[in-house]
Amino acid sequence: MIVLRDITIQLYGKTLLEGANLQIDSGDKVVIRGPSGCGKSSLLKTTVGALATQKGTVRMDGLELSATTVDQIRARIAFIGQEPVLGAENVRDALLLPFHYKAHSGNHPSDKDIIRLLEQLHLSADILEKPSSRISGGEKQRIAITRALLLGKTVFLADEVTSALDPESRTSVMDELFRSEITLLSVSHDPEWIKRCNRVVEIQSLQLRESVADPQIGNQKSAIENADTGGGE
Amino acid sequence: MTVDLSVTAMLSMYAMLVIPVVIFFYLQLGIIRDTLIAAVRMTVQLLLVGLYLKYIFQLNNPLLSLLWVTVMLVVANISILNKAGLKRRLFFWRSLAGVAGSTLFVSCWFILIAIQPDPIYDARYMVPIVGMILGNCLRSNVLSLERFYSGIRKNENEFMTYLMLGANLREATRPYLRDAIKAAVNPSVATMATMGIVSLPGMMTGQILGGAMPMEAIKYQIGIMICIFTAMVLAALLNILLSLPVAFDDYQRLKQNIFQ
Repeated sequence: MIVLRDITIQLYGKTLLEGANLQIDSGDKVVIRGPSGCGKSSLLKTTVGALATQKGTVRMDGLELSATTVDQIRARIAFIGQEPVLGAENVRDALLLPFHYKAHSGNHPSDKDIIRLLEQLHLSADILEKPSSRISGGEKQRIAITRALLLGKTVFLADEVTSALDPESRTSVMDELFRSEITLLSVSHDPEWIKRCNRVVEIQSLQLRESVADPQIGNQKSAIENADTGGGE
Repeated sequence: MTVDLSVTAMLSMYAMLVIPVVIFFYLQLGIIRDTLIAAVRMTVQLLLVGLYLKYIFQLNNPLLSLLWVTVMLVVANISILNKAGLKRRLFFWRSLAGVAGSTLFVSCWFILIAIQPDPIYDARYMVPIVGMILGNCLRSNVLSLERFYSGIRKNENEFMTYLMLGANLREATRPYLRDAIKAAVNPSVATMATMGIVSLPGMMTGQILGGAMPMEAIKYQIGIMICIFTAMVLAALLNILLSLPVAFDDYQRLKQNIFQ
């Protein structure tokens, strides 16, 4: 469970959120919406302590985000952006990268585990030897998800992850992230994505407002889309 | 001994500067003023140092020499932070420790173990050797610090990815540290590899002009090159490692207020 209480975020002198609240239960699929630059991505970054808050607290499973708990909280959350960073020369090294860090050393996964997960995400085992420079956007997303799953993460923050994907990759990424055991906090303009979320939260006048997830969403979306210049922030 | 250059001789050398100035004028580069100021500064600074060194060598007082070395270290340090675009107020002592520590360490090695002059604190060795090492560390330190912090700043997503994958600050900054040290050291590897063929190094040339035997001069040159190289690597590494606690907050985020 993630609880954001009384959060104020300022970025470059601009207030994005003021005293905002949000509670996300385990297994929730939440999508944050609002015009470009309104603070959607900043909200995700705040949740993992990548961005400072001016005020307010972030809690995860009762653990309050602070300098001493930030490592533990980051260890549970996977953050996947539009263009995930592999961080190594080839896919195998990228998947094993976190296991070279002290925090995960000793939990080295077996090739069997890796391949099983890759196949779940419709990736073949051949991809392991491919150089990172030759991996497509859709594959990167799925490799980043595989890596998070290898680390046993069940909470995903996803920032516009489907925006650059072909329909097939998009479906397999969504199938993976919308499994029932995964808690998802996301930013997306993708109608398919929004439809699959059980909660839609709008950023409106510096607050987080729950909007009802119903068929009307399509209409609401177009209204927001008009005010939107597009692209992530 | 060397032929001393008379005032007329020096004037003839300044006259040579007319050539680049005319070219700058012709190409309208707008750097004539800067060039002339630089030439004047060089002259005044070297005159002062010439006078100063004359007394330092005459007096040959270890405390005075150390004082001069300290001045050099402080000035070098300020210049490194300025050129790397980092706030002096935050980094001064840490980067001074890095630069001074590595420069003095290799200088002591060279002077105390290899040269062993009599007296051991002879200013004729201490001052120029520290000066040469420092001058070279300066460039590489600017490069490594600048490369390190701009690398993290430009690749915020990547850096965050490492943290999210469980890296601690040391682990998450390692790729940028590697890049920075490489960038700082690579040119020197190239210089070492072509030394003697492409370039006749300044120290050696100076000694030969000063009347030393070429074989004597190259031994010093080899010594000083190894010192410079080692000090560069040490200083680049130390400076970055010492700066980490100031540059990042408790959440391992790069602070934005560390840049000038």
